[in-house]
Amino acid sequence: MKDLVTFMAQNLVNDPSQVQVEQIERPHVTVLQLRVAPEDMGRVIGKGGRVANAMRTLLRVAAAREGKRVILDIV
Amino acid sequence: MTANESIEVRAKTVEAAIEKGLAGLGLRRDEVVIEVLNPGSRGVLGIGAEDALVRLTRRPQPPAPEKAVTEPIRAVAKEAVAEVPKEKPIPAPAPAPQVPPVGAEALAEVRRREEDAALARALLSDLLKHLGVEADVQAHYTEATEGEEPPLLLDVVGKDLGILIGRRGDTLAALQFLIRLMFNRHTRRWVNLVVDVEGYKARRERTLRELALRMAERAVATGRVVALEAMPPAERRIVHLALRDHPDVTTQSIGEGEGRKVTIIPR
Repeated sequence: MKDLVTFMAQNLVNDPSQVQVEQIERPHVTVLQLRVAPEDMGRVIGKGGRVANAMRTLLRVAAAREGKRVILDIV
Repeated sequence: MTANESIEVRAKTVEAAIEKGLAGLGLRRDEVVIEVLNPGSRGVLGIGAEDALVRLTRRPQPPAPEKAVTEPIRAVAKEAVAEVPKEKPIPAPAPAPQVPPVGAEALAEVRRREEDAALARALLSDLLKHLGVEADVQAHYTEATEGEEPPLLLDVVGKDLGILIGRRGDTLAALQFLIRLMFNRHTRRWVNLVVDVEGYKARRERTLRELALRMAERAVATGRVVALEAMPPAERRIVHLALRDHPDVTTQSIGEGEGRKVTIIPR
């Protein structure tokens, strides 16, 4: 799932080298924290959060395959 | 081969046909006049695909340093095809070729479209791999509707792909949205990319059109407004378009967000 977020983010931003994803395991949920260059924040969030929500939708597919719940945070 | 002899070559793409022909003749590109007789087509969903057909004619003299004639392939092809039935022999030492050779610009366009398809396909395949979904991606251009750019259709084929469609098709919508953004980010261009899963959208479109026509009949017969169930934007659009030219009804969307639905109103 971490790889999925990294792949999506790196293909959306202007500066792929600044993409960082941290995976935090909590009891019933996996939290993925995505960091990008400040100038690229808009590209991974999108108007009204459209891009972030599309990434979350796909993340749910990957999570469902592993039987997990997942949260994507952009920090 | 004499000066006015020509050969016709068939291949998957215009570019491939030209390469094949040149290899067969042992000539360089600037030693022949290239006519595109049929630009070929990939067909829709692999049906009706047609090979490209080009005619290569050896130039009578070494090419003069003329200015390159650049014209969109489609225009060239139309002229060339119109000429075929007459079986007109190629005029011997043609002073200026009747049909302009395929210009560098047109070839670049063909190449660009193929590169676009390859890039879009690679992005979607990689994304699916990261999703843990095993599937193939088939990419082809489909027919343009009303002056739109011809859509590049990426159809995902495999087993148990319902997970890629999601409730109300929202996973599929997210997939298409992200692929378009990624593509645009890499090329800095907008291309009419359409992502489909096992022809889901194509089937859904047919169903919705039929539903729209049936409900329009009902609206007319009863003289009352018929409301369809709530649908996502892309599906409402299909209904609106299906009834756009209907003589007896008009359509309007009402409601907000997930609950937005199309109503069919008798005139």
